[in-house]
Amino acid sequence: MSMAKNRREFRILGMTPSEISGEFFSSSTGKVAAVLFIILIAVSIYALIVLPPNFANVWNNPKYWQLNPQYAPPAWIDSIIGPVFSPQVYVNNYAYGIQQSNGITYVTVSFTANYEYNKPWSEIFIVVNNPAIYSMEQPPVVSITVYRPDGSEMTLGPVPISNRVIVLGVSPEVVSQVNLFYAEKYHITSVVPAGSSAIPYIFYTYDDGKPAPLKGTYKFYLVFYVFSQNSSVINNNDLRIVLQGQAYGLMGTDNMGHDLWLGLLAGFPIDLAVGLLSALIIVIIAIIIGIIAGFYGGLVDESLMRLTDFVILLPAFPLLIVFSVLFQWSIWDAVIFLAIVSWGASARIIRAMIMQIRSAQYIESAVIAGASRMWILRNHIMPQIIPYVLYLLVTNVPGAILTLASINFLGLAGSEYPTWGMLLYYADEFGALTSGYWWWVIPPGLLVAFVAVVFILTAMASEPVVNPRLRYG
Amino acid sequence: MGLARTLAVRAATLVVLLFIVLFVISFALAGPASKILKDEIMMEAKSIVMNLMLHGHYNSTQVQQIENQIITELENAYGLNKPPVIRTLYIMYNMVMFNWGYSYFPSEYGNIGGGKVVDIVLSALPGTILLDTFGILLSAFIGIEIGLRSALKYGSRSDKAVMYYAALANGIPQWWLGIVMLLIFSFYLAQIHSPIYFPTGGIISPRYYETWLLDPVKVFMIPQAVLDLLWHFALPLITVLLINVGGWAYFARTVVLNISQEDFVNFAKIKGLPESQIVNRYILRPAAPSILTSIFITIPFIIFGGFLVTEMVFHWWGLGYVYNIAIVGSPVPDLPVVVALTYASTLLYIVIIFIMEIVYIMLDPRLRE
Repeated sequence: MSMAKNRREFRILGMTPSEISGEFFSSSTGKVAAVLFIILIAVSIYALIVLPPNFANVWNNPKYWQLNPQYAPPAWIDSIIGPVFSPQVYVNNYAYGIQQSNGITYVTVSFTANYEYNKPWSEIFIVVNNPAIYSMEQPPVVSITVYRPDGSEMTLGPVPISNRVIVLGVSPEVVSQVNLFYAEKYHITSVVPAGSSAIPYIFYTYDDGKPAPLKGTYKFYLVFYVFSQNSSVINNNDLRIVLQGQAYGLMGTDNMGHDLWLGLLAGFPIDLAVGLLSALIIVIIAIIIGIIAGFYGGLVDESLMRLTDFVILLPAFPLLIVFSVLFQWSIWDAVIFLAIVSWGASARIIRAMIMQIRSAQYIESAVIAGASRMWILRNHIMPQIIPYVLYLLVTNVPGAILTLASINFLGLAGSEYPTWGMLLYYADEFGALTSGYWWWVIPPGLLVAFVAVVFILTAMASEPVVNPRLRYG
Repeated sequence: MGLARTLAVRAATLVVLLFIVLFVISFALAGPASKILKDEIMMEAKSIVMNLMLHGHYNSTQVQQIENQIITELENAYGLNKPPVIRTLYIMYNMVMFNWGYSYFPSEYGNIGGGKVVDIVLSALPGTILLDTFGILLSAFIGIEIGLRSALKYGSRSDKAVMYYAALANGIPQWWLGIVMLLIFSFYLAQIHSPIYFPTGGIISPRYYETWLLDPVKVFMIPQAVLDLLWHFALPLITVLLINVGGWAYFARTVVLNISQEDFVNFAKIKGLPESQIVNRYILRPAAPSILTSIFITIPFIIFGGFLVTEMVFHWWGLGYVYNIAIVGSPVPDLPVVVALTYASTLLYIVIIFIMEIVYIMLDPRLRE
């Protein structure tokens, strides 16, 4: 080996970069870690693209989620346990007609819904996206005829269109008409419980004194009466009809009807940011303290190590809780506090490394040859500690993520964006344990664990690289 | 002489640490947090005055006077008329003298000992020892055994399985696993009317609760109560074991792997010593100090780390659950309990660490220099 070749070669810990990556990928842990890491990054980028830039506002605006069912399991549950839960339906292909006579405009809308579930649609919404319509002096009214599969028909309404969103099932007319229908047909009075929607009872029949689902095709025929000829006709584009299901989307909904899929997606970038930011601060403080202590030695070293001991011993978690309560901390305050009290162990490792490197013969030779401290730091020490620094960065991420998830779960250090810990907090608050809302509990926890495990596996796989002893089993 | 000096420096560091933590907490409470107390006093004064107005015959100026007087008296009683520095020192003094005062919300803790903070903390101690201390020791015992076997079979399939289990166990929040356990073994088992199911929380059934809080020893005299306690203990203990065994196994594995690469181990192998002797004498003995250190240092850390939330999930009457009630469970933070618990845990922590230092030095004579 010639000297010239040796000098050109870039080596860290006596290994070339290709040797390092070879060592990393030689174990199955390394391969698994790499695959999971790519998935993690890809999903985070996808989340940033898919979520609207004002997602925090959207999430915290209850009106935005008004049409969604609450506490609904994911829609795919039906493909496992059979058609049990009716899914959320946005009626798109309805027949639209318009007529005018005697100064009244009649808008007719008809559609069919195939009902084959055990748990029927819980509400029908009629949305008119045109303020001119529902702020008219005499608002339009809608009346609905339902043709049921058993040949019977139900007439509902007229209900005034005096709002953007009409919640059909709770209007007193509709409730009393459904009650009347059951009284005439099955001789049962007051079938709709007080305070609840009448809509599910459209899809029921009476069997042995109990409501039972009446499956088949339902035909809905809606007539809107608009009391004017010229202005403000209910337009095809302004009108939306939504059947509120009992199952929703990919990940179900929570107590507010939030689409949990979006909430879970939003957790990816924020969790990564929380973990990486705190790990970055930890490692930067650790490098500074470690280098100064290890390089200068003596009294500086002694006092810095006392400080490090102190930081290592601080009961960080209770302090974090106390301060989050007292000072109403946000998640970013908590991240910074956590970083400031967590650098101790990393600083010790870096100091120990520098002490070891410093006592090596080639450093002594360099000192004798008149090299400055900065030169030695840059040329001999930095290249050797960089892989350790990366390793420390990776090992510090999961701790921060888990701690922040715990504190969010206590309802502290929240953010505008939903975090997984906060989703779990609300799940616990709104009876996930007493009502069995598994879709609200399992995914957020699994995702916290997933992100933490990705970093733990990466750290494990890079251990043989930074700790040569583990290299030759 | 060197040993005594080392220990003296450590002891001094630890005492300073205790005082700094105490000072930080007391200062936070005496300064920014006193607003909470002030609001509380205002509310109390308002409600007393409201009562007077309903039943007494006072005019509005008199009522105002009475209200002001009540507020001033209460503020004096709580020391709010003193500057924050004095109050900080006052709180610190009381803490050090174990003069921990009374809870603001005694009913939140079932009025134990009339709301005396010392009694509340003492009532929660057995639960913490049972779940946290016993849980850690048991999982350390199992985990170290697994890690040791794993390290001796380095690179085998079972070794890899242990690694993946450890990664998973370190990544899963313990309290979340607790929720999942409750969901499965408490909620769903009860829902399908399974003959075996577990309680949704609590440390013991309500009829034994009072006995447990006042005199836990008595509970161990009644066989049914012990069974009931075990029934409540099952899910929390399994959760704690599932999570912590993995961490211990990985830790022990790394320590043993590091040592088994040492020259003296290789030399012993070359000498042809029996495997059991190599493991016991040349690997386990040098590994003991770091493993012991870890066990010691984990106990106080864990009480207020992951276990705080875990105890809350299981409504397990331990220090963590009490801490949680004091901070987020009561209408406003229950400051006396918060300070007392933070102080008590830091004190416990420091005592344990100091004992550990001594044990450590005894096990590893090299450290004496």
